[in-house]
Amino acid sequence: MNFLHSAFLYGTLLVAIPIALHLIMRQKPRWFEFPALRFVQRKHEINRRRMRLQHWILLILRMLVIALLAMALAGPSLTFSDGGVFGSQEEPVAAVLVFDASPRMQYRHDNKTRLETAQEMGLWLLAQLPQQSEIAVLDTRSAHEGFLANPGAAEDRMRRLETITNSHPLVAAVDEAILLAGRSELARKEVYVFTDLSQSAWPPDSSAAAQLQDRIAAASDMGVFLIDVGVEKPRNFGFGRVVPLPEILSEKSPLRLETTLSCVGEGGERTVELFLIDREGRREKRGQQTVSVEPDQSVPVVFSVTGLEKGTHQGIVRLLEQDNLPADDVRYFTVDVKQAWHILVAAPEPAAYYAKFLTQAIAPQRYRRSGRARYQCDVITLEELSDWRLGAYSAVCLVDPTPLAPKTPEAPSVWRRLTEYAAAGNGVAIFLGHNAAPAVEFNAGGADELLPGRLATVVRRRNDDPLALAPRKNHPHPVLASFRGRQESVPWNLFPIFRYWQLEDPSGTMVAMTNGSPAILERPVGKGRVLMMTTPISDRAMQTGRDPWNLLAISEAVPTFLLLNDMMAYLVGSGNQRLNYTAGAADNVELTLEIDEIYDRYAVTLPEQAPDGTDIPPVPPDRQRQTVTVSGADWIGSYRVEAGGTGGLRRGFSVNLDPRQTQLRRTTSEQLDELFESGKYHLARTKEDISAVVRRGRVGRNLFPLVMMLLAVVLGAEQVLANKFYRDR
Amino acid sequence: MSTAEKYLKPEVIRQIKRLDLRAQFIVKGFLQGLHASPFHGFSVEFSEHRKYTPGDDPHDIDWLVYAKTDKYYVKKFEAETNITGYLVMDLSRSMGYTYRQELTKFDYAICLAAALCYLMIHQQDPVGLITFDEKIRSSLPPRARRSHLGNVLSVLANLKPEGKTDVAQSLTQVAAMLRHASLVMVFSDLLAEPEPILHALHRLRHGGHDVILFHVLDEAEVKFPFDGMVELEDPEDHQRLQIDATGFRRDYLDEIEAFRETYRRECSQAGIDYVALDTSMQFDRALTEYLVNRRGRG
Repeated sequence: MNFLHSAFLYGTLLVAIPIALHLIMRQKPRWFEFPALRFVQRKHEINRRRMRLQHWILLILRMLVIALLAMALAGPSLTFSDGGVFGSQEEPVAAVLVFDASPRMQYRHDNKTRLETAQEMGLWLLAQLPQQSEIAVLDTRSAHEGFLANPGAAEDRMRRLETITNSHPLVAAVDEAILLAGRSELARKEVYVFTDLSQSAWPPDSSAAAQLQDRIAAASDMGVFLIDVGVEKPRNFGFGRVVPLPEILSEKSPLRLETTLSCVGEGGERTVELFLIDREGRREKRGQQTVSVEPDQSVPVVFSVTGLEKGTHQGIVRLLEQDNLPADDVRYFTVDVKQAWHILVAAPEPAAYYAKFLTQAIAPQRYRRSGRARYQCDVITLEELSDWRLGAYSAVCLVDPTPLAPKTPEAPSVWRRLTEYAAAGNGVAIFLGHNAAPAVEFNAGGADELLPGRLATVVRRRNDDPLALAPRKNHPHPVLASFRGRQESVPWNLFPIFRYWQLEDPSGTMVAMTNGSPAILERPVGKGRVLMMTTPISDRAMQTGRDPWNLLAISEAVPTFLLLNDMMAYLVGSGNQRLNYTAGAADNVELTLEIDEIYDRYAVTLPEQAPDGTDIPPVPPDRQRQTVTVSGADWIGSYRVEAGGTGGLRRGFSVNLDPRQTQLRRTTSEQLDELFESGKYHLARTKEDISAVVRRGRVGRNLFPLVMMLLAVVLGAEQVLANKFYRDR
Repeated sequence: MSTAEKYLKPEVIRQIKRLDLRAQFIVKGFLQGLHASPFHGFSVEFSEHRKYTPGDDPHDIDWLVYAKTDKYYVKKFEAETNITGYLVMDLSRSMGYTYRQELTKFDYAICLAAALCYLMIHQQDPVGLITFDEKIRSSLPPRARRSHLGNVLSVLANLKPEGKTDVAQSLTQVAAMLRHASLVMVFSDLLAEPEPILHALHRLRHGGHDVILFHVLDEAEVKFPFDGMVELEDPEDHQRLQIDATGFRRDYLDEIEAFRETYRRECSQAGIDYVALDTSMQFDRALTEYLVNRRGRG
């Protein structure tokens, strides 16, 4: 407990007065003549003892009255921290002001964005801080900052605050602020957090939150003030992540664009528009939908765009009517449309049968006819492979190959040819099957230079105990891109594997089977890559009468379709090409270039949202890797990467806000209590709140009213008792 | 309330200075309050018998005549003068006490005695007066003459309550003094040890006397109206006590009630009429008591 005017505590010495009064100036009782005194005498002793007790009680009450009065005048208060926060309110403080600079703070209410409101509050607060305080201003950029030289610098820093597209979590900034305040030598340390109290700013169960909890627990003398600049009932419509599927598509295949429209607060109908933007920046509307969203719900929005020419296309999806938070009312996207990739599929006789499943999976007949297929497949026999021209193909697939070792030493080795082909930057896929036996023969003739392992034996499983593919959870490999985030829901066990090739010295296992044996392996060869599957994808389609090795190649096997498509995309080099990024993840955007797309320099055009005067200097390509890398794409929007002037190269990519940055759902006080532990923080909304809360935080809760109430009670009791003793008549 | 009846109230009678008038007013007020007189035949002499007719009080049937004649006769009375009354007055200092500064216990007792004296003399009963403190101080022999009333009243009017008292001793003396069976009416606050007093009362009773004990206390002694811290002093032995009166009242009231109850019980067993009075009570209570007793003797 602290006292504002501790000198008044000397007033408690005045408790001597009632003692003196009781001892010296004892009030004389009134005298009466009373003949029947004999009846009084008998009970007198009991009465005397009782009276003495009452006298003592009265004395104590009177002493209490004086003590409480002195205490009330001394201004008692109770601080919530265990120590440290002593002294008057005017003592200098180490104040760290943390501003949430996420795009959420652009939410406009009463004609002010949340950030403007926060700035206004911050400037006001700055003026309230005691002289000689140490002040730091932090935002949710990751940069480390220190205390500023003077309040003027702090004011300047505050005025220059603006929202950041790739805002870091607020809890991390608060964590840093507590660290910074802790380094100050001043006794009193305060952290002010200007926040809209949205759930995304204060995630309850993140590791950063846990760290913050520990930090606050350790810094018990720290005053943490949350200043709520949010809107209590926000209303906003906003897009989720926009995903063009795929990002690189072949000519004439449709662009499928998926996103969600979510709503915070009152729901309603909104019109969503899709525009494509041409080279000159002209917008062409290619789609419009009216979407009805229930309160606090989100609905999927899907656009399909056809007839895209070869080249890079950029566009936006936006809401027709802007709302209070414009940042999430528009999303940008970039797609590349390329010619169909040529794939060479080599298989034993009859090659068409063996290759049927693979070719149907990656280039369905229907798509091929309409010219929308991503791949163009040429099917040949294994014998033809030895002298087939491979240079025109982006990838070669061997379906259930037989041993390819040359019959005579002087004959050219197919394996060696394929190795050279891969080393030049192409892809080779081998799907092993029953034709590969005998293993010794298969391994001969330079196969070990290409394959990720040597074949050992065929493993047979009992029919009632089959294996299945078991990709690792959230494997980052592009081959598993379709399954990322939904491993549990992929029913691999519906497509059992009964036989597979066991390998010697396998390396680069990418996907294993349920028993841990490798199912898909990768081996980089030169600039290219080799994928090998230890069980075939052609067996079922053969219908030869023998038991199939697996049921992966049946028409219902959607996961196999997806897997094969991803494998092909990876082999032809489009699988790892990303064109759409979220802010913060676009530090180094790498674009893959074709051989004819290599120029000396590439000009980068920033999106129109980028502030004036900013640009990215022209970047040179990495000729070795055939890539160009753009760094510092911090702004939201579509970037263009161009070279060669008119008619030259035009590529691009898009950067969007992370939808989590614009989630406005408010956190509840229970969640805050959970995050901070109740009593470890002070929450304020208005300037008056801040004054009261800060005062309470510094000086503690004012106990004056409580003491006065106690005083009144004691005084009342004293009056009652005294009246009983000395009633005037 | 009629004009006369209001004189039964102590606060009214206090305003009358002359004792004879006080006595007269009390008695007249009392008699006026009696509607159909149940006291017909008191202190009157037998005059004749007449035949019982329905409607007559069966109490008046003369059973001796019935025994002889087998017929119901009722007695008719005339005045009878064979009851000798003694007014025995306590002169102790404590009797002079009044809390409200109105009628003292002594004044109250004097008024009562005067009224009884008046009543008795008007019925031709001889009345004597004995006063005592530690022993008998004075006495007037019983007379039934009208002029005697003046004597008694003048003595009563001049009495002063002062000094200590010894009720038991004095009553023993009275018992020794009275030769014939009489009606002894004692007026006292009885503020002394009850044992010897009761003993003396028994002795009186054994002497063949009828005894009416008028126990006169001050209103304050019965109700204990004090509050807060008080110091109380006994006027006789000047002993002092400081008490918290508020907390004490309950105890005191219990004590005084127990004290009265002792007398009530003991007197009842000894055939003594015990009349508990305080100075706020109307006089008729005492007078009724007397008449009831008188009737019992008739």
